[in-house]
Amino acid sequence: MGILKNGKIMRKRRRLNKYMFIRTMPNVGVHILLIIGSFLMILPFMWMIISSFKPNLDIISVDFRLFSPNWTLDNYKKVISEMPLGRSYFNSLVIATTVTVSTVFSSSAAGFLFSKLKFWGRDALFFLVLGSVMIPPQIVLIPLYLMVSRLHLVNSYPGLIIPFLINAFGVFLMRQFIYGIPTELIEAARVDGASDWKIYFRVILPLVKPAIAVVGILTFLWTYDEFLWPLVVVNKTEMMTLPLVLGRYAMAEGGVVAGASMATTTLVLIPILIVYAFFQRYFVKGISMTGMKG
Amino acid sequence: MDKLLKKRNPVNTFILVVSILIFSYYVFVSIWPIFFNIYMSLSKTDLMTGWTFVGFKNYLSIFKDPLFLKSLLHNFIYLVVMVSVGIGSSLIIAALIYKTSGFAKKAYIFMFFAPVVTSLVAVSLIWKLLYYPNVGIFAKIISNVLHLAPPLFLADPKTALISIIVMDIWKDTGLRTIILHAGMEEIPESIYDASKIDGATAITNFFRVTIPLLRPQIIFLAAVYSINALRVFTQVYMMTGNPPGGPAHSTQVLVLRMYQEAFYATKFGKGAAIAMVVFILLLGMVILEVKSFQQRWEY
Repeated sequence: MGILKNGKIMRKRRRLNKYMFIRTMPNVGVHILLIIGSFLMILPFMWMIISSFKPNLDIISVDFRLFSPNWTLDNYKKVISEMPLGRSYFNSLVIATTVTVSTVFSSSAAGFLFSKLKFWGRDALFFLVLGSVMIPPQIVLIPLYLMVSRLHLVNSYPGLIIPFLINAFGVFLMRQFIYGIPTELIEAARVDGASDWKIYFRVILPLVKPAIAVVGILTFLWTYDEFLWPLVVVNKTEMMTLPLVLGRYAMAEGGVVAGASMATTTLVLIPILIVYAFFQRYFVKGISMTGMKG
Repeated sequence: MDKLLKKRNPVNTFILVVSILIFSYYVFVSIWPIFFNIYMSLSKTDLMTGWTFVGFKNYLSIFKDPLFLKSLLHNFIYLVVMVSVGIGSSLIIAALIYKTSGFAKKAYIFMFFAPVVTSLVAVSLIWKLLYYPNVGIFAKIISNVLHLAPPLFLADPKTALISIIVMDIWKDTGLRTIILHAGMEEIPESIYDASKIDGATAITNFFRVTIPLLRPQIIFLAAVYSINALRVFTQVYMMTGNPPGGPAHSTQVLVLRMYQEAFYATKFGKGAAIAMVVFILLLGMVILEVKSFQQRWEY
């Protein structure tokens, strides 16, 4: 009897478990898929860091081993002594910072202009900014290059910076954001006798800090990553930016420079990944905002 | 006279300065260059020795050039795969992430977004090594785990272009996913409840409710990625070695062709003509995008 009873309970329990399993299974499946996906997203970076400490023959070799017994710092030593990394870091930083500061100010001022101020020709001017999206630097690469070379700005910071000083994406985002600021606030400041300059600096700028963070971070990343324009206007080693340093490896046979190239990419990517880890929410928020704009 | 003076507002210097700055900047870096580019595309020049007006000769010659036509086809393939597979995969991932919550959700978003923030140049170099034929890690995984003969990836003209596209889809998965996910969170729960009462399953919900309501985001992404697909350069340059666009010109793309015609072959007129073709395609794409957006308001 007892056994039978037990069997009944067991059966009941098993049935219960089955239902519970079915109810939670979709979620388990979701997590398994997402964990595999996340792993695929960061695997190349893990592989990059591990490879940067391996000799060439262990990165690309017949016997497949993720961890090599021959750990080495030679790749880093070689890269630091042979590549103009310090100078390129400096160049990239100077260019990306200048462009970021300029973009933050120009897009917030333009955003204020297009969302809260009325003047003759406003719509035409906005249409011009809109149209500029269709004329990215790649398309006017040749005339821009000609212009920069006629102005003797080849191999110079101004030459590298000029095509990126104002960014239409930044203008759109700021315009959208400033639209949300109550107009009464601006009217009140105007009643107090503030000029539009004062309103811009004292009212608008402090209120758009979140948008500034978004535009600033994204602009910095894009400029840090820009490749084609520096490739065209720079031919001196001391003016190279980090992407150009990496570009040197593109022409070499992959296996020969495997260790060195992975050490360099690690050095280039680590600062970005650290900044990303700290400011993650701004990145994600910024991107969601651009999507909203639709 | 007095009345006139009273009526006149003081000049608003903010509006004046900012609008003149914006106007002159865009004239300087967009308007003037695009017109100059048109003029250049009608000329034959190496920028050094001479400059002759040749009419539409450059256009005739690029449309007879098999390399240019190949590039056009490759950009088209790039666009179609990037938009369909890219958005499709991100829709699935966004729907999966939507089902999670709390810390797990944040962690997934963090990981999926990591490749987006990293540099395309660096990522291309990493993938070039991952794709290394026969002894690279992908080839090893395919032959050792799946027991299949691995493709040669970038070394084979048949698979080179698709290998680059796969890398590109991988890199921006997080970006598309977050935009779609943000759109999904905007959809009110009550719509799903209503369709549940009507007996809809999760799958029908996804196709009949989620996707139609995400139309604005999907159109936005389709527009962004078709424009990006036309501007592809860095990936190809970094991943296909010396000279870029190989093997056997199987990865030639328009911007690369323009760069090579202008700066390798010093045929700047021909390069400018290719740029004009890209510009016209881009213009068409933007018009298409604007049209699709206007349709949305008819709901």
